[in-house]
Amino acid sequence: MSVKTKDIALVALFTAMVVVLGLIPPMPVPWVPVPITLQTFGVMLAGLILGPYRAGLVVALYVLIALVGLPVLPGGRAGLAVLAGPTGGFLLGMIPGAIVVGLAAGASTLRCLVAALLGGVAVVYALGIPWLMVVTGMTFSKAALAVVVFLPGDTIKAVIASIVAQRIRRLNLV
Amino acid sequence: MGSLFLPGDSWLHRLPGGLKLGLLAMLGGALMWVHDWRLLMLALAVVSTLLWQTGLSVAMLWSRVRGLFWLLLALMLYTLVVQSAEHAIALGLRVTTLLLAALVVSVSTSISQLMTVVLWLLQPLERLGWVDTQRVALAFGLTLRLIPELSLQWHDIREAQAARGLSANPLTMAVPMLLRTIRRAQEIAEAIDARG
Repeated sequence: MSVKTKDIALVALFTAMVVVLGLIPPMPVPWVPVPITLQTFGVMLAGLILGPYRAGLVVALYVLIALVGLPVLPGGRAGLAVLAGPTGGFLLGMIPGAIVVGLAAGASTLRCLVAALLGGVAVVYALGIPWLMVVTGMTFSKAALAVVVFLPGDTIKAVIASIVAQRIRRLNLV
Repeated sequence: MGSLFLPGDSWLHRLPGGLKLGLLAMLGGALMWVHDWRLLMLALAVVSTLLWQTGLSVAMLWSRVRGLFWLLLALMLYTLVVQSAEHAIALGLRVTTLLLAALVVSVSTSISQLMTVVLWLLQPLERLGWVDTQRVALAFGLTLRLIPELSLQWHDIREAQAARGLSANPLTMAVPMLLRTIRRAQEIAEAIDARG
């Protein structure tokens, strides 16, 4: 079996998994102000398990499928309108985000947690907040304040993703 | 899975997909610099007319923008509280115009037309040897086929765990989900290679 075919299959499967995780209705979590979706959880898992190159492809494919109009984003959203909207930067930011997760991932669970936070949270917000500012005309502090409610949920997702990914990585399957 | 595309033969449907995407990108760039609400109203009126020209009914429009509408409303309320009513109105007008303009393209351009544009845009990268457009098309088609399958798989795991009295927990569900997903990828890769 050629390695490349397996990579395509893994990228397609993980993309489908990110879609499925993202479409699960947002769930309320104790002590977290807003219900969370598992979309970025899937992105973190892809980065931690597949590494930077394939994870970048997974998220790029995910964004492509959403942009051509299939309702694969949380809440069944889709289309170029998402990119034109205030949260477009968070969607696009997940592509470099997944790559950074893959690059920063390491052998320990702690290292994976740092990677998930760095790529899955910091990089995503670094693109998402300026985009929100440009589209809405908000100042930095107000845009940052608007997204700060999502931080606790994202942190929990990074913790769970790093634990789960560590269990999978030990099996040396991919 | 339904897409945003609405089959039809309006003049907007007949316009080349690449041209529509290019114009949308230009409009998006231009609108970022417009803060005058009268200009924004004009832009919104023009875009609404275009959307009407595609043959989209109000009910079909609502089903396509519902998710984004609530997000926009929340943002307008937030802007109203932290800034001013003028900012909230300008924000609402600008974002609505952009959303509807993007919808004009999505409604009047089929997925295969959009994919043709995407693969055309990827051609320079292909010449550099960075991307293989055939593989992109394969992964795209494969993913669409697999979404229903994985969705079913997630529900199976959920039910199996519920039957054992476990509550919904991403930590315990993600491991079997990933293991099955990786195994399925191996099966599919073997099937593709066997066919050549």
